[in-house]
Amino acid sequence: MQKNNYFAVSVALFFALSSIFIALSFGAAASKFIDVYHSIIGQGDDSFIARIIWQLRMPRTLLAFLAGSGLAIAGLILQTVTRNPLADPYLFGISSGASFGVVCFMTLTGVSAGITMSAAAFVGSLLTMLLLVFIAGRAGRGQVESMLLAGVALSFLFSAFTSLLLYFSDPQAITAILFWTLGSFARAQWSTLWLPALVIISCTGLMMGFRRQLNAMLLGDESAATLGIPVQRFRLLMLVLSSLITAVLVAMCGGIGFVGLMIPHIVRFFVSQGTITGLIMTALVGGIFMVWVDVLSRVLLANQELPIGVITSAIGSIFFLSLLYFRKRES
Amino acid sequence: MQIPAVIDPPLLEVVNLSWSVANTAILHDINFAIKPGQFIGLLGPNGAGKSSLLRCLYRYTKPVCGEVIFAGKNIWQLSAHEYAKQVAVVLQETPSQFNLSLFDVVSLGLTPHKSLFSSTTKNDQQIIFQAIEQVGLSHHLQQSFDSLSGGEKQRALIARSIVQSPQLLIMDEPTSHLDIKYQIQLMELAKSLNVTVLASFHDLNLAASMCDELLVIKQGELVATGSPEYVITEEMLSEVFGVCAEVSAHPQSKKLNKVIPRITYFYGYQGGGVDAKK
Repeated sequence: MQKNNYFAVSVALFFALSSIFIALSFGAAASKFIDVYHSIIGQGDDSFIARIIWQLRMPRTLLAFLAGSGLAIAGLILQTVTRNPLADPYLFGISSGASFGVVCFMTLTGVSAGITMSAAAFVGSLLTMLLLVFIAGRAGRGQVESMLLAGVALSFLFSAFTSLLLYFSDPQAITAILFWTLGSFARAQWSTLWLPALVIISCTGLMMGFRRQLNAMLLGDESAATLGIPVQRFRLLMLVLSSLITAVLVAMCGGIGFVGLMIPHIVRFFVSQGTITGLIMTALVGGIFMVWVDVLSRVLLANQELPIGVITSAIGSIFFLSLLYFRKRES
Repeated sequence: MQIPAVIDPPLLEVVNLSWSVANTAILHDINFAIKPGQFIGLLGPNGAGKSSLLRCLYRYTKPVCGEVIFAGKNIWQLSAHEYAKQVAVVLQETPSQFNLSLFDVVSLGLTPHKSLFSSTTKNDQQIIFQAIEQVGLSHHLQQSFDSLSGGEKQRALIARSIVQSPQLLIMDEPTSHLDIKYQIQLMELAKSLNVTVLASFHDLNLAASMCDELLVIKQGELVATGSPEYVITEEMLSEVFGVCAEVSAHPQSKKLNKVIPRITYFYGYQGGGVDAKK
């Protein structure tokens, strides 16, 4: 069993690295694998194409990988602590909060570009998270229900405010807000990549440390409590960690739906989530998936980029539905 | 309250325990003590407060007044984590829609004994495998917990509590959905573990044959305690459970060299059926 796990993780790791490598060769400017190799070795110093690969595609592909792993892990954790297979980072209103933050910022300042927009999105997400924690923290025994319901309600609340503000603002703002609802990796830069990397790696590390507690949560609150877990505080902590991951990603690359919901389920078909392997595999598969989605978004239309969220939802749903269909027939 | 210095101090002591929800008293002034090594059965009709009492004992609900003292300490002065090292719990039903394997579920017993980031050592794995073997589930090792039958699930949870290595095992109607064969098997398994056990029972005959002592509660009050022979009487059955029955000695009593009461129920006196419509 242990050996199988190591094998699966090494295969996934190999796929992840080669996916990133191959993804770097796709783009508007023609390039070959050997260019990618030279670019990585020389850190983009030798030629024009090498600079494109190192300065533009590399941070973008890394951000895509981080986003995929982060959202998948956040989804897995939320599904675990709520014991709800439909839980997903966006179910809790994090992205509506981000859109609200952005629209507020644009309406108040008139600015519609730059890093300050990301900051506004992050603040909006954090606001949603704090409200959610505040409500769920008071809930006592019915915590899961109130968390889910409050998340959905907050999501609608912020969407309503966003729509209201958009209704009274100019069409330019509507184009800008589309970025936050559909998602894109076009803003990736080396100088800001450290932030999602830091947040995702440290939150995921903590979650791996808590893997026994997470498994115990699957057997119900009461069982978990008898194993010495302060159930409600633990659930809030996990909510905060997954929301942080989501908030940072929404701020950097907008709302990318469905990955957090789908990837954990796909991985769960093949690997038990009870092991540390399950967590690592979820992160890797999420990352690989997102790297390829980003490639598709760049190559599907000539000289134009498709929004990431459109592709994840389309591919994801079809793949997921067929997996459900074929699994059912097998058994 | 002064506890006299005796040779055998109680492992668990319940003092003046009361618990209520929204001004409705569920448990009222309950007192009892459990000595180490005993197998105690908790009896009572539906809604008498068995589960509520056990919840107070495994530190899930805090009593409104009174104390639960474990090995000389109030359990609310211990952390949840410390308490879980010493008290394991097997519950009635375990919901799980996710694919944890049997091994994963049993290894959860390590949770209170392990710090964050510590790995499961070879030695821990050995303990887990042994526990699974002890409950006779070795051939299901990698199967998912969901695919096990009801009896196997409960045995897996007992294996989990073996890994937890507690001093006290609390079980809340662990056999209520099981066939009689597995009811007996599960209780005999629990008895063979050589830990102190407190279990609530639905089947009075099973409780009478398994337990060293019985606690009977009715409407949140402790109404009888003592050996099965002393507690299981026709009067008690009529007063607490509202049934008419005859109590005789179980045929195995002589062989086992203790008196095991056996209950034979009578039927047809409750006015059920057509007459009850009036």
